Amino acid sequence: MPETSIPPPVAARPSKPVSEALLNEKWDRCLSSLLIRSSLGLSFGVVFSVLLFKRRAWPAFVGLGFGAGRAYEECNGSFLRTNRDGVRVTRP
Amino acid sequence: MLRASLRSPRVLGPKSVSNTAGLQWHSIQAARRGYAETAKPSIGNSKPVVLPGSASATSPQPPPPRQPMIQGAPTPTKPTTNPTIPAHNVPLTPPPPPTNNVVKPAPSATPPPPPPPPRKPRGRVRRFLTALVLLTALSFGGGVYYSRINDNFHDFFTEYIPFGEDAVLYFEEREFRKRFPPTTTRKPRDTGDRVKIPSQSGVSWRVAEDNKSATARHANASKDTPKPREAIQDPVGTKTEEKVKVVEAAKKEAAVPNSQSSETTLPLGKAPEGKSPVVQSPVKPGQPVKKETAPSSTTANAIPFTAPEVDQPSKFPPEVTRIDPIKVNDANEPVVQDLVKIINDIITVVNADNSNSRFSTTIDKAKREVSKLGGKIKALKDEAEKDATSKINSEKEDFDRAAKELIRRLEAEMAKQQSQWQEEYQNERQKIQENYEQKLKAEVERAQQVNEQRLKNELLKQAIDLKNKFMSDVKTQVEEERDSRLGKLTDLSKTVNDLEKLTTDWNSVVDANLKTQHLHVAVEAVRANLEKSQVPRPFVRELAALKEIASDDEVVNAAIASINPVAYQRGVPSSSHLIDRFRRVASEVRKASLLPEDAGVASHASSYILSKVLFKKKGLATGDDVESILTRTETFLEEGNLDEAAREMNGLKGWAKTLSKDWMGEVRRVLEVQQALDVIATEARLQSLRVE
Repeated sequence: MPETSIPPPVAARPSKPVSEALLNEKWDRCLSSLLIRSSLGLSFGVVFSVLLFKRRAWPAFVGLGFGAGRAYEECNGSFLRTNRDGVRVTRP
Repeated sequence: MLRASLRSPRVLGPKSVSNTAGLQWHSIQAARRGYAETAKPSIGNSKPVVLPGSASATSPQPPPPRQPMIQGAPTPTKPTTNPTIPAHNVPLTPPPPPTNNVVKPAPSATPPPPPPPPRKPRGRVRRFLTALVLLTALSFGGGVYYSRINDNFHDFFTEYIPFGEDAVLYFEEREFRKRFPPTTTRKPRDTGDRVKIPSQSGVSWRVAEDNKSATARHANASKDTPKPREAIQDPVGTKTEEKVKVVEAAKKEAAVPNSQSSETTLPLGKAPEGKSPVVQSPVKPGQPVKKETAPSSTTANAIPFTAPEVDQPSKFPPEVTRIDPIKVNDANEPVVQDLVKIINDIITVVNADNSNSRFSTTIDKAKREVSKLGGKIKALKDEAEKDATSKINSEKEDFDRAAKELIRRLEAEMAKQQSQWQEEYQNERQKIQENYEQKLKAEVERAQQVNEQRLKNELLKQAIDLKNKFMSDVKTQVEEERDSRLGKLTDLSKTVNDLEKLTTDWNSVVDANLKTQHLHVAVEAVRANLEKSQVPRPFVRELAALKEIASDDEVVNAAIASINPVAYQRGVPSSSHLIDRFRRVASEVRKASLLPEDAGVASHASSYILSKVLFKKKGLATGDDVESILTRTETFLEEGNLDEAAREMNGLKGWAKTLSKDWMGEVRRVLEVQQALDVIATEARLQSLRVE
């Protein structure tokens, strides 16, 4: 029964975004990562300040800065990478 | 010679003494070690011959040459190792000592002999000492003797008793020399010495004495040999003489001039045998010029010349008389030539023997006789020739006469025959002529008959031809008549056929018309489907129908093939849908309109914010910036000019282009479908037009 073995025509992949939404998606990703990373950094800073630095404020800010900076860096990379030729981008 | 020259400085050199001493010492050591390792021949020989004198224990010959060596003197102990002894004086190799693998310590290292006891106590001590010495000597001698007999004891004795080995070796060597007396041909033992070459050997400027004796012997042999030859040759000489005598008796008178001539050629042939001072033979042409002088002292026994010794005064070798081979003047006859040759051979033999002086007279006589013989033979020949010529002349005359008679007879006969033949010839000619005339007549008659017949035949043929021509003419005329009528009939049928064709053509036209109608309908259906649908819908069925209708139309097929398969599988969006989407895309593109080439987060954000405060344009704005392109596209879209709108959007760059890619794809698909449909509609119209 060869006819049955032929798969039905596959519908368009819903995962692929339309071209006009490319930038928006990038922004979404950037913002979320910024939020997550800065909060992570902040929490680490708080923990360190409690454990090691006698509850001072600056370790928390430093952690926040680290997280935010990391997120910014990643975001910048993603924006810069998109238009470049010859580099294949693999998304997680 | 070279060796001799090299040897002398070596012997005389300053280093030679010490060198020789060292060499000797080494050679002794080596020899000793060699003895220990080699097998004793007495092992193989079960019972060696023991001579009574050599093996006695009380031998009167103590080993004296050993003494200096014990005291550490470098001089050799053995006469065999003395380098100055010539090769033929070197003693032969003694039988080797017993086999013991242990390398024996050198005799120099053996404990010294018992020290001489003190002499102070006169009486007992002296007796004791003498007894001790005697006992020691006796036991040593007994040991030596017993070691010659018993092998085991030999081993023990040579190994443990000091000087025991030397003593045993000495006796063994003596015995060996007795058994094999020394000869010069024996090869000397290889003692590691330098090879000594006596001064006599080698090449030297002097003529050796041996050579001298050899040459003397050789000279003797050469002197002895001629005697038997003489004996052999004597009969030959006599034979030739006898021959000559016989010939002489036969032809005495003819020989006179020849003999004289031969005598003139050999004037000194009659020289006395013993004391012929100089045999001077005239030099003859064609022979190598040789001065042959017989020495005055030469006798029948010529003293052979011996080369003088080098130290003697040199002298010339005596010159030997050579008898020159004869040459006869009139030697044309082969017999004489043979004779001459034989005599020449004899002469050469005699010359080779150096005994020419003995045979010269005999041979001279022989020569003369031979030359006389030549003359005689010539005279005989002349006489024979004269006789032969006279005979020949008489014979010739007889023959001439006979020949003349013969010729005359022959001529008469020939004339008779000729006349006869002429008559016969005339008769024959007449006969042949008659024959030919008869034949000619008959042939002429025959030819005339043949000609007449041929003419008749030709006439008949012409008549037949004419008849045939007439018949064909009639036939063609009839055919023409018939053809004209038949041609009209075929015309009629042709026109009927044309009419039929026309009707069928019309049928096809109608069919084509129908087809085009169908095409129109199908195209309209597709178009309606596209325009009416609000949501994109696939139009595969309509397109399939269209393809079915225009089954073999190439243009339609090409147009359908140009449509993207995605378009008819999923449908194409309507124009309102496109405009709607463009609005969305335009807002996004505007956000990214102010981005530089390599934009990071900051530039994106700034572009996003700044695009909000940009003024909007209207209508067909001029300029290449994103805003004006977007405005122009919007205007075109509102006018319904999809093509121009797509062109404008295609001019975007960078992020703007990326963002509008999907929209562009959609527009393109729509345009493709529209174009294909237009092409098909035009084709359909063309078809309907073409039918007329």
